[in-house]
Amino acid sequence: MKKTLTLLAAMALAASTFAIEVGKTAPDFSGTDINGKTVKLSDYKGKIIVIESYNSDCPFCHNQYATGAMQELQKDLAAKGVVWLIVDSVNTKNFSYRTPEQARKEFADEKITATAWIDDNSGTIGHLYDMKTTPHMFVIAADGTLVYDGAIDNRPQPFGDPRTAKNYVSTAVDELIAGKPVAVSQTKPYGCAVHYAN
Amino acid sequence: MRRIGILICICLAALTASAAHTHVRLLLSADTAKPGDTIWAGVDMKMDAGWHTYWKNPGDSGIATTIKWDLPPGVTAGEIQWPLPEKIPPAEVTTYGYENEVMLLVPLTLATNLSPGPLVLKAAVSWLECEQQCVPGSTNVEATLNFGGETKPSADAAMIESWQSKLPKPTQGWPFRAWWEKATNDDTRPLIIELLPFSQKPSAKIDRADFFPDASDQFEVQAATESIPEVNAEFCIRKLVKKFSGDWPKEISGVLVEESGQTHSGFNVKIPISNQVPIKQSVSSITNQPSVLPAQPLWQMLLYAFIGGLILNLMPCVLPVIALKILGFVSEANSEPRRVRKLGLIYTLGVLLSFLALAAVVIGVKAAGHHAGWGMQFGSPVFIVCLTTLVTLVALNLFGIFEVTLGGRALDTAGGLASKHGAAGAFFNGVLATILATPCTAPFLGAALGFAFAQSASIIVLIFLFVGLGLSAPYVLLSWNPAWLKFLPKPGAWMEKFKIAMGFPMLATVVWLFNVAASSYGKNVLWLGIFLVVVAFAAWIFGEFFQRGRKHKTVAAIVTLTLLAVGYAFALEKQLDWRAPFVETASAGSLKESADGIDWQRWSPEAVAQARAAGKSILVDFTADWCLTCQVNKGTSIEISSVRAKLKEINAVALIGDYTHFPDAITTELNRYNRAGVPLVLVYPKNANAPPIVLPEVLTPNIVLNALNQAAQ
Repeated sequence: MKKTLTLLAAMALAASTFAIEVGKTAPDFSGTDINGKTVKLSDYKGKIIVIESYNSDCPFCHNQYATGAMQELQKDLAAKGVVWLIVDSVNTKNFSYRTPEQARKEFADEKITATAWIDDNSGTIGHLYDMKTTPHMFVIAADGTLVYDGAIDNRPQPFGDPRTAKNYVSTAVDELIAGKPVAVSQTKPYGCAVHYAN
Repeated sequence: MRRIGILICICLAALTASAAHTHVRLLLSADTAKPGDTIWAGVDMKMDAGWHTYWKNPGDSGIATTIKWDLPPGVTAGEIQWPLPEKIPPAEVTTYGYENEVMLLVPLTLATNLSPGPLVLKAAVSWLECEQQCVPGSTNVEATLNFGGETKPSADAAMIESWQSKLPKPTQGWPFRAWWEKATNDDTRPLIIELLPFSQKPSAKIDRADFFPDASDQFEVQAATESIPEVNAEFCIRKLVKKFSGDWPKEISGVLVEESGQTHSGFNVKIPISNQVPIKQSVSSITNQPSVLPAQPLWQMLLYAFIGGLILNLMPCVLPVIALKILGFVSEANSEPRRVRKLGLIYTLGVLLSFLALAAVVIGVKAAGHHAGWGMQFGSPVFIVCLTTLVTLVALNLFGIFEVTLGGRALDTAGGLASKHGAAGAFFNGVLATILATPCTAPFLGAALGFAFAQSASIIVLIFLFVGLGLSAPYVLLSWNPAWLKFLPKPGAWMEKFKIAMGFPMLATVVWLFNVAASSYGKNVLWLGIFLVVVAFAAWIFGEFFQRGRKHKTVAAIVTLTLLAVGYAFALEKQLDWRAPFVETASAGSLKESADGIDWQRWSPEAVAQARAAGKSILVDFTADWCLTCQVNKGTSIEISSVRAKLKEINAVALIGDYTHFPDAITTELNRYNRAGVPLVLVYPKNANAPPIVLPEVLTPNIVLNALNQAAQ
């Protein structure tokens, strides 16, 4: 028990040293997308970037897509020139893991509009960004600063229409485009735990 | 046949996939109840193996179980009482919840005017159950309560009672302490929670403690808990708190979990969070505790404060004003002793009120979250410029360039001296003495102030008041014992000479203040000098043509004011930019003072750690440009050939901590040794496990050499 807690403490300290911070530069990362291409955050320098921690088996994530709300948001923002990166950190042994082939099928079936779906089964990007839940959303301004970290909206329900909720991501993007400061920059993310490798 | 089989399989599969892994039922503590009763409802949730549901604060992910009641009129439901949950791994996404089974307890109150008949109590329970994946679940439950003349417990009452014993217990009046540690991030701060020992402590010795926080939208207490070994407390833990929005919380509420052997007990706590680290009353057994850290009772501290105040009278920055006071005495002695006594008290009042104002400022600054250090007002360059100008004017006044009612108007013994003048002079005298005394931390004063700054506001006020009393004591004594006035010299021409002579220590103070200002203004401090010359010239015009002159008085006044205005506008505002000086950027590397001087390196906690890891002894000198005692120590006991040689001989590292601009890192370090300000000189022994030797405030070469010898063993 003592060992676990020491480990927890060490991780907490490590987390606090490396943890990303709203208001500071978002750390760069490199991953492979489901088409086999290498994707880097720095590839999209100069654009507004939205990062989504994804797992469609999680009822909260699933509801966003089943109601079509997430796809609408993605299309909307794409039209505004926003880059959308899906990060799937589910480990390969987990029930919810999608092979690149399965992922490509899901991408097409669900009519997802995203710049890339990154297969992060090692959990590197997830840990770098301290992703806790699915969905867990991040918004990065064109100058590379992390301006939002938290829940997708203010309605932590796995059912009902998310369009009725206040969407923190679209609000933050609108504020960025208008040159205004992002009013709500941090909220507690909700959802299911990210299934990291142990 | 096969087709039907397959169909059944598919149906079953569909059923089990969508079937909840949690079975919920509603139990009541009574079969029959009467109006006015409060009975307990137990929402019993049984989870399949491997599945869990969540606590009122689910943690990093998950959703808390909710209960929506549909009750007949007259029946009201209270808040859900949650039994103690478990912490569910993994570490990166830790949650609080229940495995196997939990019964959420809800008090149901029956109104006194309830109409008779069976009561059907319904509830819609929603939850999230997770194993490898998460599935939201919900179900409707109901139970019937009979209305009757008396309360009859149900068969489930015993089970409900056993679950009630798993609820966290209250902690009224328990001596908890919580405080913030220095943050490393803008949005994350470490929080320390501690429980002091006390007599009515119910449970056995605690093996480990943990804290499960209540949920909040504004901030999140992260799950990892670090135990801090603390001999003087039941337990001491560190939690990291991340803020999403708003202000940092002023209190923390949640459930304290104590592990004693196999049992886990929960306690509801609500603890106010302090911004200051509380002082440890007795020596702790943690290694790295400095070897000089006695426990000081309050009366001893106050005594030291008083003696320190007395000694302040002798400080070079205060002594000239004392002389002025004595001159005042001498002239007053020839008038009624009663008036002298009154003036003595007013002087004391001036000193005490100034110290109270200082105390209020310290408390205010501490409240603003910034560590306060004695002499802190000297850190403000605006203050230094004002003080330098003031002391220059006092010197000019003593030289007789112009006159001012400073209490030094000893020669004005003409009758009809309005008592107001005298009182104002005495009061102002007291205030000035206080202002000048502050940066000189005398030996006794050091310990007292170190104690005071970490204390509560009331103790700070007390300590400051006692210093003030010490400072004003001689004057009060002399004013109250007219008999002793006999021993004071009679007024005469010598007084004028004495007055002028006292102008010179004042000039010396100006030069010293000028040097302090130089660290804030760099080379531009030249303009401060020019401003002082303009002020001197204006003072002469004022004295010669306005005060002593007979005609053209208005012209003189106008010229004086113009000179001052121009001097201010040009020298101070334009050239010097006195309110926003540049701060010298720290340069890396050695800070040697002369060719064969000690090779000082810049102090930092990392530098200390590095040197200790290399097995070297370390001499650490915390000093400041404005600290007179520090400069004296340096000249007499540190930058001397014997110490330089000794440092080389034992291959020690010399680190210098510059406190001139009050860097927070050094304030924290000073507080750790119970010191409020500089000087602080430490000698770390070669043996990395040994605590550092804390040297006294006033040094002699022997003190330093002995410490270095000890360190090298």
